[in-house]
Order: sequence, then C-alpha cells, then structure tokens
Amino acid sequence: MGRSYFVDETVEKYLGGLLADPGSCVTGFLAGQSSPQRDFVVLAVQTPQRESEGQLKSSRGSGPLDDIDVEWVTEHARQVSRMLPGGLCILGLFLVTPPELSKDAQNTLKRLIFAMDKCISKGRLWELTEEDVTDRVTLHICSKTKKTVCKTLDVKDPKSSAKPADWKYQTCVSSSWPMLTCSVEVDLQIPLTGSSSDNTDKCMKDCLTRWAKQIEAGNCLISGRQALDDSELISAQKKNLKTTHRQTFPARILVSDPELDERSSALVQLCSGSVRVRGVVHCRAYIHNNKPKARHAVQAIKRDIINTVSSRVEMFLEDLLISEGSRKGLCTGQQALPRRVFAPMPFSGLSVCDYMFPDESTADVADRLKEMLDWETPEEDIDISLESNQLFSPELEMTDSHSDDSRKHVISEVQVENPHIHKAPQYYAGVAVAATIALLATATSLLYFSE
Amino acid sequence: MVYSEECAIIFRLKGILEFACQLDNPNAGSQSQSTISKSFQGLRSKVSSKNIVFTVCNSPILIWPNTGFQSSMESLTEASACGDILQYIESDDGGSKKTLKKKDKKRSGHTVVNLKLLFEVTDPAGNEAPSLIRVDTQQHCVKMPLHLDCVLSVTTEESLASVCTGLVETLRKQLAEMEEVVQRYRKGSSFLVPQPFHFQLPEPAGLTTVIYPAGVPDSQLQAIREDLHRKFELPSDRPYLRRANAFHFPDVAYKDGYLRNPHIHLNPPNIEDAKLYLVQGVYIYHHYMQDRVDDDGWGCAYRSLQTICSWFQQQGYVETAVPTHTQIQQALVDVGDKEPRFVGSRQWIGSIEVQVVLNQLLGVTSKILFVSQGSELATKGRELANHFQTEGTPVMIGGGVLAHTILGVAWSENSGQIRFLILDPHYTGGEDLQTITDKGWCGWKGPEFWDQNAYYNLCLPQRPKTI
Repeated sequence: MGRSYFVDETVEKYLGGLLADPGSCVTGFLAGQSSPQRDFVVLAVQTPQRESEGQLKSSRGSGPLDDIDVEWVTEHARQVSRMLPGGLCILGLFLVTPPELSKDAQNTLKRLIFAMDKCISKGRLWELTEEDVTDRVTLHICSKTKKTVCKTLDVKDPKSSAKPADWKYQTCVSSSWPMLTCSVEVDLQIPLTGSSSDNTDKCMKDCLTRWAKQIEAGNCLISGRQALDDSELISAQKKNLKTTHRQTFPARILVSDPELDERSSALVQLCSGSVRVRGVVHCRAYIHNNKPKARHAVQAIKRDIINTVSSRVEMFLEDLLISEGSRKGLCTGQQALPRRVFAPMPFSGLSVCDYMFPDESTADVADRLKEMLDWETPEEDIDISLESNQLFSPELEMTDSHSDDSRKHVISEVQVENPHIHKAPQYYAGVAVAATIALLATATSLLYFSE
Repeated sequence: MVYSEECAIIFRLKGILEFACQLDNPNAGSQSQSTISKSFQGLRSKVSSKNIVFTVCNSPILIWPNTGFQSSMESLTEASACGDILQYIESDDGGSKKTLKKKDKKRSGHTVVNLKLLFEVTDPAGNEAPSLIRVDTQQHCVKMPLHLDCVLSVTTEESLASVCTGLVETLRKQLAEMEEVVQRYRKGSSFLVPQPFHFQLPEPAGLTTVIYPAGVPDSQLQAIREDLHRKFELPSDRPYLRRANAFHFPDVAYKDGYLRNPHIHLNPPNIEDAKLYLVQGVYIYHHYMQDRVDDDGWGCAYRSLQTICSWFQQQGYVETAVPTHTQIQQALVDVGDKEPRFVGSRQWIGSIEVQVVLNQLLGVTSKILFVSQGSELATKGRELANHFQTEGTPVMIGGGVLAHTILGVAWSENSGQIRFLILDPHYTGGEDLQTITDKGWCGWKGPEFWDQNAYYNLCLPQRPKTI
C-alpha cells in the first residue's frame, strides 16, 4: 500500500499553468507536511531560471534532461527549506517533460531527489527519529497529455526502487491547520580554540549542536499543558467544529543545562577568543489537523527553534564569505544576524519566513520571495514586527573588567563600517559559495555582485 | 538516629547549572577572583529570575516560583499546603497512572518530594533579534557543571509559596557556598568542582548541606570538619561530616544490592524494665555465599568481620572497601600471625584474628572479652550495654564451633534479664529481608542461644577518636 498525498487544488492550478518551452523540461519542488499515515502538499514552486549569460554548460548529455542543473535545483530547494516554518518541509520534486522524454524522467527524478535530500540535511542540527517519514515524492507530468505519475522514493535506502503513491487533489488542505508560536531567548557563549576560521566554524557548529540537543530534550508546554504521553493536540472538549479560523497555540519550552561528564575539575581551554550568539528568535510551526498528536506538534516547534538559529548563523557566515571575498573570518565586535520576517505563503494561508539583513528592506524581501517562490508579495503583507532590530549596547557582559575600554573601542569601530555590502538577493549569495571556485577559475564576470 | 517528629516532608531540588567564565590571566589573583565572582553573581541572578521552573518528579506539576507563583495545576496555589502535592505524584513501582496514595511513611518517618530545576527559554524580556559578538583576546575558557542539590525540611501544613521561596533562597545560598569552595581551592586555571553533601545532624541543626571540593579526600578536609563541628556543636571525637556519613534519602535505592541494618525491621523483645542498647549507625549484612564466595561451613567469622569492616566504612572512618576472605587471610600472613599457605585455605579464624585484622587493615583497636562458659554471657549485660552506648560498634563473638555478630542487647538493670540481638552469618540465601527477619537470621535471642558449656571470646571494636 503506497503513500497517499493530499494536495491542495491551488497546487493543481499552479502545475497546470506552468509553461514549458517545447522540448524542454521544468523542475520544481513540492512542500507540505508528512505524517505517519498520510502526506499533505500545500505548495509547488518551479526552479527559477538561472540568469547567467555565457554560462559555460558543458553539453555532455544529449538532451534537456541531462542539462538539468542538479546543483541549481537542489540549491533552490535548500534555500527554500530555510523559508519554511516548523512542521513544513520539502516533500519532493516535480518534473514536467515532453512526451518523448517521459521514459527517462524517473531516473532523473531519482537523481534529483537523492541529491536534494543530501543537500538539505547537511546543515541540520537535529537527528531524524524513527517516526520521521523518509519517503520523498516524485511527480512526473507530461507536458502534452498532462498525465501525472506519482511515486515515492525512500531516501534512507539508495538502492530501493520507486513505489507508486496516490495523488489526490482537495480544497483547503491547510486552512485550519493549527499554528504553534513562541519567542525563544538564545544566549550561547562559544569559546574558540585555534585561530583558523574553519576552526571557528567547527566550534560554532559543535556548540550549536549541543544547544540543539538541549532544546530537543526540553519540556514543552502547549497552551499550558505538557505533552507527556500519546495524547492528541486538540482535546475533544476544545474542538470547535465550526471553526474556520486557524487556532494558535502558544508553546513554552523548559530546559536544563546539559549533564556533562562526571569530572572532579573544570574543563579549561585556552581560547583565541569567543563568540556569543544572543537575542530572541520568533518561532512558528504548523501541524496538520487530522487528529495530530501533541508530541508531533512539540517536535515541529522545537525543530523550528533549532533551524531558525542555525539557518541565520549559516547565512551570516555564507554572506561573510562572499562580501569578505576570502576566509578572513568574523571580525571582532557585535554584528547583527539577519532578522526573521514572515509573509503569507502562496495560496494556502500558511506563512513562510525570510531573513532580512540589517541593510535590507522589505523590498529586498519581496524580491527574494518572487525569486524563490514565484509569488508576488505586497510589501505591506511582510510582517517585520516579530523580531526587532538589534541594539548595539556596550553594556553586554563579556569578559574581565579591564577589557571594558578596549571593547567599547571595538564596537564603535564596527558601527562605523558596514560589513554588509552586498545587496544581491540571498539566493545568489548562497549558490555562489558552491560555485565560487568554478566561477573564479573560469574568470567569468560576476554580474550579480555589486560593490 | 532520631528524626524530628515535626519534619514530615523533605523537598529535594536538584538541577545542573553550567558555570562558565573567561580568564585573561588565571594567575592574576584578584582579577580572576572578581571575574569568577561575577559569573557566580550571574548564576545567582539566574535562579532569582522569573524564568526558573520547578518540576515535581513523577508528576505533571510545574511551578514558576519567581513569577508571583504560577503553577500548572489550578488546584495548587501559593496558599495550598505543600502536602497536597503528594496526591499527584506517581509512585515509582509501576502502578497505574491513577495512584493517589500518599507515599508510605517508612521507618525513617520522612517523605521525600523530588524536584528538578528547569529554565524557561520562551518568555523573553524583549524581542531583539540575535547578534553575534566576537571577542578576539586570548583567554582561558572555564566550564564546569554545578550539580545543585538543595533540601528543605517542612511540615505538610507549610504553604507551597513558602516552600518555593525557601528553595530559591537555598539555591542562592548554595551557589554562594559553592563560590567560596571554588575560590578557595582554585590554583591558577585548575578549578575543583564543588559538590553538595547532606548530613542529618542532631537538632537543632537538622538536615544540613555542606559543599566539598571534588577529588579532595576526606583526610585532607580535616580542618574544614573541625570548623563545622565547632559551628554545629558536634562532639569532636566521632565523625558526622565525612562523605560516607551523608544522609541516605529513603527513596533512593542502594546501588550495591546489599541489605543494611535489617534489625530496624524487628520488634524489640518484651521484657519488663529493659532498655535497648543497640549498634549505632549503618552496617551491611555479610553472610555465607555472598559475592559468589562459597564459604559455607568455614567462613562465619570472616563474614562477621566483614560486617564490622562495613560499619567502619559506612561511618566514614575508612575509605577502603570491605576486605575479601583472601585479603583477610593475607593480612594475617603479613603480620606474621599465619603461615603463607593460610591464604586460599578454608581455615577458621577467631576473635583474636578478627582483632588483628581490624588493626592491620583499618587501624582499629579492639577489646577482647573472654567468658569461660556460655552461661556467663547472661551476666555481661552491663558491659555490653556500655559498649553499645559508648562505642556502638557491632561485636563479633566466637565460641563453640560458631561465630556470630551481636548488634545489641535488651537489658534490665534491675532484673538482669537480657536478650541479645544477633546477626547470623550462616545464612546462605539471597538478600531477602522478609526471610532474614522472619526466620531469625537477624533476631533477638535469649541466653539459651549460647552453648552453655563452651567458652567464648568477644571482639569489641573501639571507635577511633577522630572526626
């Protein structure tokens, strides 16, 4: 018995409206939520065109399928997965091909799915559990007949073959999905051992991983109640059958400091410096409304908390790499991490998020949303109020008191310079990390960097 | 030990707080001191903040003690009696989720409510998005976990609010005491982890917590104990504050699987006018076949000796483990009392050998009491009573062909009637308290228990006069 995908009819409309040049293919991702019994698809977005002139494409393959830039497709999916709040993720990919290429479509989809999963799971700080669904959906559409073939592949098992799955369209799949929200205070002190910036990245990743485990192990209260057992999220008495609006449940997370090894003396490391990540992150997660279990909702919000912090740090470091041009690493002082802003998701009424750097505006966010989600968002619909701008304060407690003066000096220096020079859409910056070496080697002019 | 009748509940709050600080120069005395102080100040603020949460273990109860007392249970408010918490606690031994019974009051008369310290991360003061702050000075980064363990003894009528306030105060105080220990024992960048120990001291001190530095043996903490003995007006000739003297919480199982003090489950004998003179403190019941050593038929005196050694270990006089048969035999060879081939044999030992081994392995001296006939033991009431009153150590008695351990006497000064509390090392079964007490392996015996015609030697170990 294969999996069942319940797909919002707005997705059907979108897929039907895709224009493919005759003979060429269109790729894109499908997003939604998986539950042990069934899956829900609420969003489909085609891969954006790669805007590059004179891009040297080695035509090794014979035909459009081979020309599909796997890296580009997966990078798009990776960037979008950062924009999805908790509970939602990339469920799979679709591929539109002309009839003559249909027979090879499945192979291409398989290649893409595995590459994409690998790309997305790289930066993840939490582990998959047994209950997590590892099937990804592949949807093949014939551009002439509009016939769809839906299959699933288990990314846990590269040798497995695709299994057939049901693809059913429904109205308003996610309109009454409950939403969990919380604001989480983060204050991580990360000592840096060694001085290379690779080392810095590793120290930060280790510390963030430990913090992620703390969050995962924490107690979670939803609307004041702990999800202690296999209980349902919405108890019978609270179910309001007439509700059409989305219920919001505030979540509270309680943690304890991690249990380190039994030791009789403190761990002392000689550090070349330290990094502190401090501030408040606003988190959101959605859960399907087909008798959801409280613990799945808890897992969704916890993962969102972890993802939002690790995504921003990752993005900040990627951005630094681009604007600095070399592995100089973090400069001293306080630097703002990108702020999380929310916008309505195309069609479904759920929200997506984006990260706004200090020198950006809602116009930049709108541009990115158009780029990544193929969707026009009016600027007034972008909610930037949930996280406020960082204050640069010299009262932040840091180290030995004697360094007060030098610290103030450093911070004021930083305020004068503006490390964020780039104004290019986020997407391009991310891809450039991977492609930098190749591009520099070919000495192609970097059209998307502005100075 | 006598527990005060008034203290019906012990609230025990445990939690881990990570201590972290950055030192520019660990050898710069006062600068490092003030940095460490600042970090501890930060931790004290943390436990006074509105983000701390107490969770009652094995129950759904959560309490925010610092936000005008919020609780996750509507029926528990700040004015509720703290005893009301007991009905929500699930007992550990399986059972359905609807157990509402109060925890059985064990012989110790204490009910323990365990709490865990948690911190809420979702109620932030502001909503400022995160920043990254980098500092580029070379520093020593110090991290260590502080295992907080606070206790509060209260009556069941005490309000929840006052219990919570009391616990928060105790947390702050414990952090201050931990800071003191950390500062005192710090050498450059070497920090010792402060560890809390609880001791049941005679009233008025009651259940008291002392912080000791990890890794420093009891022998090096003599001066600290002397100060505390003075402070709590404790006798200066017996240990109360060695780590081994730490209070054993009734709800925590011993990890080694041995039985301790089986005699407390017995009813005393019914003799008119008799007073009880019993062993003081804790001992472990050692008997035949334990530890996979088959000493059935020959090892009784060895087992009695092991019970005595366990007493000195449990009371904190020695830190070494209870000796095995082989180690006992080796000790006798080492002092020249026996030939080398004694080791590994199944030869019996007597009171004199027990005395020798106690001296050799534990540095403990013993008095030997000789009776020429078993019937004479009935007349030794006063001496045994005195022994249990002043020394309180278990007594090994050997004679006839048997060895036993005497744990106490019930003796009437007027009538001279006497009963002996006997711990029998000849038991070959498992650590089954029911069997041991029912079948008299630990039990009260009359003077007829002894072989009336045989002669007996008793080994009465003396407490070293030390703290």
